[in-house]
Amino acid sequence: MSGLNTIVINGLALALPLLIIAIGGIFSERSGIINLALEGLLGFGAFCGALFAYAAVTWHWFPANSLTPMYLSFVVAALGGAAFAVIHALLCVKLRANQVISGVVINILSLAATGFLTSQINMTVFGGPSSKFDLTVAPRYTVSLLAKIPIIGAAFARFYAFEVLIVVLVAIFWFILYRTRFGIHLRAAGDNPQALDAAGIEVTRVRFVAVLISGGLAGIGGMCFAYSIFGSFSSAVYAGYGFLAIAALIFGNWKIMPTLAACLLFGFAQSGANQLVLWLRMDSSVGDLAMIVPYALTLILLAFFSKHNRAPRSLGEIYDSSKR
Amino acid sequence: MNKHEDAPVQIQLNWFLRFFGNERWQFATIPLLAIAASLIAITAIVGAMGVNPLNVFITFLQGAGWILKPAYAGGYGMFSDLSNTLTFFTPMLLAALGVTIAFRGGLFNIGISGQMLIAGFLASVIVGYSGLTAWVAKPLVLLIGVVAGAAVGGLIGFLKYRFNINEVVASIMLNYILQYSVSYFINTRFLDQISRQSKVVSPASMLVLSSVKLGGVNVSVPLVFLLAIALAIALQFFLKKTRLGYEIKAVGANRRAAEYAGIRVPRTIMLTMMISGGFAGLAGVSYYLGYLNCIQPGKLTSLGFDSIATALLGAAHPIGAIASSFLITTLNTGSTYMSSMMGVRAEIAQLVTGMILLFSACSAFFRWRIAVAKQRAEMRAAGTVAPGAEDA
Amino acid sequence: MVHQHFKLVSNYTVAENIVLGAEPTRRLIGLAGYVDMRPVNAAIAELSERYGLSVDPTSVIEDLPVSTQQRVEILKMLYREAEILIFDEPTAMLTPQEIGYLLDIIATLRDSGKTILLITHKLEEIKQVADRCAILNHGKLIATMEMATSSTADMARRMVGREVIFEIDKAPARPGPVVLDVRGLVVENEHKVDVARDVSFQIHAGEIFAVAGVAGSGQVELADAIAGLSPVKSGTIQLSGRDITTAAVRQRTIGGISYIPEDRQDVGLILDFPLADNLASKSYFKPPFSHRGILRPEEFASYADDLIERYDIRCSNGAATLTRSMSGGNQQKAIVAREVEQDACLMIFVQPTRGLDIGAILAIRRRILEERDRGRAVLLVSLELDEILALADTIGVMFAGQMIKVAAADTLTREEVGEYMMGVKQS
Repeated sequence: MSGLNTIVINGLALALPLLIIAIGGIFSERSGIINLALEGLLGFGAFCGALFAYAAVTWHWFPANSLTPMYLSFVVAALGGAAFAVIHALLCVKLRANQVISGVVINILSLAATGFLTSQINMTVFGGPSSKFDLTVAPRYTVSLLAKIPIIGAAFARFYAFEVLIVVLVAIFWFILYRTRFGIHLRAAGDNPQALDAAGIEVTRVRFVAVLISGGLAGIGGMCFAYSIFGSFSSAVYAGYGFLAIAALIFGNWKIMPTLAACLLFGFAQSGANQLVLWLRMDSSVGDLAMIVPYALTLILLAFFSKHNRAPRSLGEIYDSSKR
Repeated sequence: MNKHEDAPVQIQLNWFLRFFGNERWQFATIPLLAIAASLIAITAIVGAMGVNPLNVFITFLQGAGWILKPAYAGGYGMFSDLSNTLTFFTPMLLAALGVTIAFRGGLFNIGISGQMLIAGFLASVIVGYSGLTAWVAKPLVLLIGVVAGAAVGGLIGFLKYRFNINEVVASIMLNYILQYSVSYFINTRFLDQISRQSKVVSPASMLVLSSVKLGGVNVSVPLVFLLAIALAIALQFFLKKTRLGYEIKAVGANRRAAEYAGIRVPRTIMLTMMISGGFAGLAGVSYYLGYLNCIQPGKLTSLGFDSIATALLGAAHPIGAIASSFLITTLNTGSTYMSSMMGVRAEIAQLVTGMILLFSACSAFFRWRIAVAKQRAEMRAAGTVAPGAEDA
Repeated sequence: MVHQHFKLVSNYTVAENIVLGAEPTRRLIGLAGYVDMRPVNAAIAELSERYGLSVDPTSVIEDLPVSTQQRVEILKMLYREAEILIFDEPTAMLTPQEIGYLLDIIATLRDSGKTILLITHKLEEIKQVADRCAILNHGKLIATMEMATSSTADMARRMVGREVIFEIDKAPARPGPVVLDVRGLVVENEHKVDVARDVSFQIHAGEIFAVAGVAGSGQVELADAIAGLSPVKSGTIQLSGRDITTAAVRQRTIGGISYIPEDRQDVGLILDFPLADNLASKSYFKPPFSHRGILRPEEFASYADDLIERYDIRCSNGAATLTRSMSGGNQQKAIVAREVEQDACLMIFVQPTRGLDIGAILAIRRRILEERDRGRAVLLVSLELDEILALADTIGVMFAGQMIKVAAADTLTREEVGEYMMGVKQS
């Protein structure tokens, strides 16, 4: 039975960060900007957050064992992701670049920049040749009363603090996208930007902000992985979760709730496959094959569902206000 | 607006517009602009670190074997470094050609790394660990590379037209699937316990002659270097002068119009991805059985991603890819020496690549601004717009 | 301003579109403002009632017919209390009955004190509703006229700067054998909805068969299916006695179908190709353009030079001109040149004169008649009733996917065709 609990616990720990990254992607794409840059954005966000937390711990900005650096690092990660997203926003919104190319460029640039900066900063600032910033793994919490409920209870057992943060953020950003003026403008920009422009709203500004939001949310997601799966920041953070998030949002038809379902599916597929390897007492190298499961599942599911998907109507189009 | 259609107006453009506004040469002039911009950016970064930027660039060139280093270890010389650069250049150019053909067909093959890996892996397993003689082994390695790469590329094309799966998402998923499956097989069957990589392939199967003495120094001779150059020229001819090339470009420029003209779009997409994958497969065998000679499990080569940069920098033009491959390869192979001499981390090579790519991505903007500026200059010359009354 | 292309967000409701940019908000627990549509819905329903627009504020735009979407655009301006309303070619996609309704609405708006600016190339409409009219030609103001004292012929003369022949000389048709035979054709769109249902008709050599119908009645899908661009669900298509129901586009081209599509920039041409490549886009694969898969660029160029000369295609740089840089009229000329040179037995024209100036329109209409007189079968799809009445030998009217009436052109009046288009009259 504890195996089943492990599947739920580990599955959620993967699915929720994935979801927040995917929601970032939804904000960008619903506004009409293709965002293949999520991978790079989450990496750069995690780099900024990890640098902050590492510096805070190394130089004792806070009392020992304080969790404050960890919480603040999420804020820094969001700001860092948003800052890096400025490049994508500039390229796609202002400089009329091909959005797919821009996304790929940002991924390459992010990997290169963080790789260079991590080792350079480690050498010159922290005085040691290392290509990563070591963090701790974030503490886990259990609500003992609720955790006793069979199966569902596992959702309240051994969770990370950031999982709570993500649930709150999802609710907030759902409200922003579907219930506020900004959300209405954002979705209109992705369907018919000319209509929005005619209504006196600046399309470029809406899209710019949307891309920044996607960077911020991706940065938070990246920081979650740095504090859970990796326990550090290094180029290993670029493990493809950004792309998995893109697959999830396409699979979720660019809507938040179906994307949540897609993320849970990926999370449980991954943790389930890993658990299966343990149960069957297979060799650890079979773990490589278990890693394939979410990706293969994505491909197969996309094969079934892609036909019925409807991308935002103006996705990928360069907006030219002079065009009628 | 239609005025200059009837009577082309002879007008004076300033030197900037004359140089960059010539559409025939924009494929070369605009990347040059991007390179210049990124060199300036890197100069600023390195300068801020207190290192002389000029020395950084010189040591890059020395490390890559283009100019003489002050000193060499015994048995090594400039040609050792240069031959190393050319050995790395070969897979880089082949991979960039794969990106280029896909790009011209309106597709984005981001799965080059995965296609390279599976081609290199299958060639290693089938030929590299067999006792075949060189005359049989080397052609067989090339053949396996092409077939394996083309098969994966074709699969992506198939998923795209049959199931409407975006080729970028499909390639990325396949990259991971291939990466982990190859890793599994290497870890369970072909692992060298000491190096923690796959066993080194037999010299007979390698697409390189290593440790050849040339004028007293060790050089390695990349056997498919000339093949890669020839393929670039052939691809240029293919795109410009063949029926299939015309069809691929038509599908790339406008899928609906291509269908209307009677071109079988799904077949063309499949073929484009197969050719692209085939180039990637060749790149894979010349990299894993010609440069590394073994495979590190659980890792995709960054060359596959750098080749996207290379192709974009080459303006999706096969001949342009030759030039940009030299540049990117030089940055890659020169970085270690530069790092050891200057104390700047070698990762800066990737950063330069990223910068160049960033500025290349703005090329559409450059082109648009130049076109607007040109049009405005023409209109001003024709007297239709008063010099003060302009807007963007 | 009511644009020719509506500025509406397709997946939003009528009300959401109308208040876009000025959404009313309420505070949630005194904090975040959220958008509340209820008062807006009521206000819009009231407004729609007052001007007789009959629009439901809660329906979603993409479910509405074109004429209703247009009234949403009008409501948008009224909701914002605009005093000057600009209409840009508002009747291009409407049936005669819908045009009548719209012109009534425009008159009502004027009577309630609004200023109306109507941009149109249809002289009839000007005559019907305008008080005054300004004539522009190539960006220059030619004249401003009081409508009470001027005639349509006078206006037309000033518009083009020369005497217009309204009636094209049209010899009686001399129909030959059947070229196209369509039986029980059913075509479905990508959403699996039948857009052409059980359509049957024949076209003879030397006959112009014109399909009339409101936009979205299935006529474009019908043309696409005959050309092979969309698959046939059931029924048969025969070309000169051969069954081509499942033939590929290329086979149909070779078999004798040429096709001037509705969307010339996105379907008919590859804008990023040079003109020469576009002029050869349906023949590049055969000699002299291609030998064993290798192209002959010099053949492309000389062929293009020939067509540029004969069809008077204006381009700045000859065969090498980038197609994107050419004007719409010249792009259309290039398509017509290419398709006429196919020497096909069936020519399909879909909206061949849309968006062109009067000179170009007349040139293309004359070309269509010429091709008929050379013994080709012509299938003409047009939303312009004038065009259909001017050219057709036989008229087929489509309504909601069905060909509800087929009759010789001289047996039908304009009003009758309009009634069939609206589905008011059934045969």
